[in-house]
Amino acid sequence: MSSRITSVVILALILALVIACAPAPTPAPTAAPPTAAPKPTEAPLNFAGKTLNVSFFAFNVDLINKNINQPFEKKYGAKIVYDTGNNADRLAKLVARKDNPNIDVVAFSTEFLLRAVQAGVIQPYDPAKIKNLDQLYDWAKDPLGNKMGVGYTISGYTMFYREDKVKEPLTSWKDLWRPELKGYISLPDITTTNGPATIALIAKAWGGDLNNDQVAWDKLAELKPSLITAYKNSAELITLVQQDEVWASGYSTFAWGNLLNTKKPLKSVVPKEGLVGFVNTLSVVKGTPNAELAQAYIDFMISQEIQLAEALDLVDSPANKNVKVPADIAAKLTYGDDMIKSLIFLSDQQIADKRQGWIDRWNKLMAK
Amino acid sequence: MRQLFQTRTLLLLITPALLFLALFFLLPLVFVLADSVRDPGGLTLQRYGDFLAQDQTRSVYFRTLQLGVIVTGLAALMGYPAAYLIARMPANRRALAMSLVILPLLTNPVARTYAWLVILGRNGFFNQTMVGLGLIAEPIRIIYTENAIVIGLLQLFLPLMVLTLVSAMENIPTDVEEAARSLGAGGLQTFLRVILPLSADGLVLGGTLVFTGSITAYVTPAILGGTRVLMLATLLQQRAIALLDWSGATIIAVVMILTTLLINALLRQLRPRSA
Repeated sequence: MSSRITSVVILALILALVIACAPAPTPAPTAAPPTAAPKPTEAPLNFAGKTLNVSFFAFNVDLINKNINQPFEKKYGAKIVYDTGNNADRLAKLVARKDNPNIDVVAFSTEFLLRAVQAGVIQPYDPAKIKNLDQLYDWAKDPLGNKMGVGYTISGYTMFYREDKVKEPLTSWKDLWRPELKGYISLPDITTTNGPATIALIAKAWGGDLNNDQVAWDKLAELKPSLITAYKNSAELITLVQQDEVWASGYSTFAWGNLLNTKKPLKSVVPKEGLVGFVNTLSVVKGTPNAELAQAYIDFMISQEIQLAEALDLVDSPANKNVKVPADIAAKLTYGDDMIKSLIFLSDQQIADKRQGWIDRWNKLMAK
Repeated sequence: MRQLFQTRTLLLLITPALLFLALFFLLPLVFVLADSVRDPGGLTLQRYGDFLAQDQTRSVYFRTLQLGVIVTGLAALMGYPAAYLIARMPANRRALAMSLVILPLLTNPVARTYAWLVILGRNGFFNQTMVGLGLIAEPIRIIYTENAIVIGLLQLFLPLMVLTLVSAMENIPTDVEEAARSLGAGGLQTFLRVILPLSADGLVLGGTLVFTGSITAYVTPAILGGTRVLMLATLLQQRAIALLDWSGATIIAVVMILTTLLINALLRQLRPRSA
C-alpha cells in the first residue's frame, strides 16, 4: 500500500517534470474562419484554394489573424499556415528540408538570412513581382544584396539609464565607464543578437571599428567589475531593472514597452555613436512550388495598409516610407525622420566572420 | 510450461516500452555518437581531444562536475533525514508530506529561476533581511556566483532525492530496527549497519538523478550564473544556438552522457554489498 502511494507520487512527479520542462506550446494562429469567396475582380492574382507556408517569429501571434491572415485570404483567396520559432530553430528546419522544402516564405533577421543564403536555402525575389518595393526605405529594399530578402520591419539597439540615479545624461557609450555606474551596468551577452553590436559600438566609442576591435576588448576588461551580469534575453534585463540592479544598459527598442512597465524612471537615448538598426526580412525559399504566391505575400506584407496596421498595434516598426502614425505610437517605434537618420547598419558578413572568435574572447574575459 | 508462459507475458508487457526507448532514445543516441567520431577521412577522436585540450572547455567541465558533486552531496545530506521521517509517518500524513515535497516542482522552471533574482539580489529579500537583522553590514553578492547555482539546483533536485529515498525506506520493515536494537545495537550502529545498507539503492538512484540533472540543467545555471559562471549546458547552448556549431555541441552532449554513465557506475560500486 505504502509503496503504491510512493509510486503514484513519483509518477505524478515525473509527469509534472515532463510537462514543466516541455517548451511552452506556441499558440498556433488559428485558421481564418471561411470568408465569402473572393471576388476575382478584387484580386488580379487569384490563388484560391492554395496554402502558403510561412516560417515566422512567434511574437504577437494573436494579432496576426486580424492584421494579416484575414485580409490576405480575402485578397488572394489563399490560406496562410505558420511555422513559428526563433531564427536558429527555423533555419535548422529549412536546412533539414533543403531538397524537399515545406516552407514557401521565411522571415529572418539579416544575420540569419545571411546564414540561410550561405546554406543555399533561399532564392532571389523578382522585383517585378513585388510592386510595393519602391515605397520602402533604402535599408529595406535589398539589405543583403543579390535580392535575397526584403526588409519588412526594423528595430533599434541603443541605451537607457535611470534618470534618478544618473546625474548627467548619458550621451555616449563611453559614459558607461563613469565610476558612479560601477556595479549597476548590464550589457547583452555576446551570444545574443545585440552582443556583437555592443562590441562594435564600444570599439567605435573609443576610436576603433569592426576591424580594429582590440580597443573594445581592452575597455571591456576595464568595465568588467562594473557589470553585474550580461543578460541573455530581454526578460532577464527587465527583471534586473525591476529589482534596481541595473541603472544603465544597452537594449533593443523592441523591449521598451516592457521596460517602461517596471515603472522606474528610465530614459532612452540615442548616443553619439548612433542607433544600430536591425532589419527583419522576408525571403522566398529555394525550390518552393509557390514562388508566385510567396512574392504576392511579401508584396502584401510591405504594403502601406498592412504596415500601418502592424505599426498601430505596436507589433512592427514600418519599413514602408508612406506609413504615417500618430505621435504617441511613433514614440514607441523605430520611426520618424530623426531616428531613421541616426540609424547605422553593421555588416552581417563581418560580424559572422568575427562571431566565433568574439565568443571565445568574451568567455575568456568574462567567465571563470 | 507455466514458467514459459510467464516469461512470454513478461516480454509482451515490456515490449512497448523497449520499442519506444529503442526508437526515440537509443537510435538517436547512436546517430549522435557516430556523428561525433565521423570524419571525412574515416573515424577520429580528434574532437574529443580538442575538447579536453582547451583550457576553457576543460575548466568548464571540471566546474560542472564539481557543482554536480556538491549539489548531490548536499541533497543526500538534507534529503536523508527528511525521507526517513516521511517514511515512518502513517500513510495519510505521508501522502500529504509527499505532496508538499513535490510542490516546488510544479511551478514553471523559468518563473522559479527568476524568482531567485528577487530573493538573492542585492536588494532582494535575503540581503534586506540580513541587513535588517544587523547580521551583515551591506548586501553581499550571491546572484551570478557558483553559490547561486548550487542553491538553485538544490531547490530543483532535492525533491527527487527525497522521493527516491522515501520509496527505498518504505520497504524497510520497522521490525528490522527493533530487532537490531534488541540484539544490542546502538542508534548509530543500527543506522550504519542496518538502515543505511538497506536504503543504499535509494541513495544510488537518487544520487544519479540529482547528479545527472545538475550537470545537464540549462535554465538555472544560465540565469543564476549569468555570464560569469559557464557550465557544460550553457557552453552547449552557445555552440548550438549562437554558432550553429552542431559538431561542437554534439561533443559536449556526448561528454555529458558518458559522465552520467560513469558516475552511475561509480555510485553502484560504492553501494555496500547486501548480504
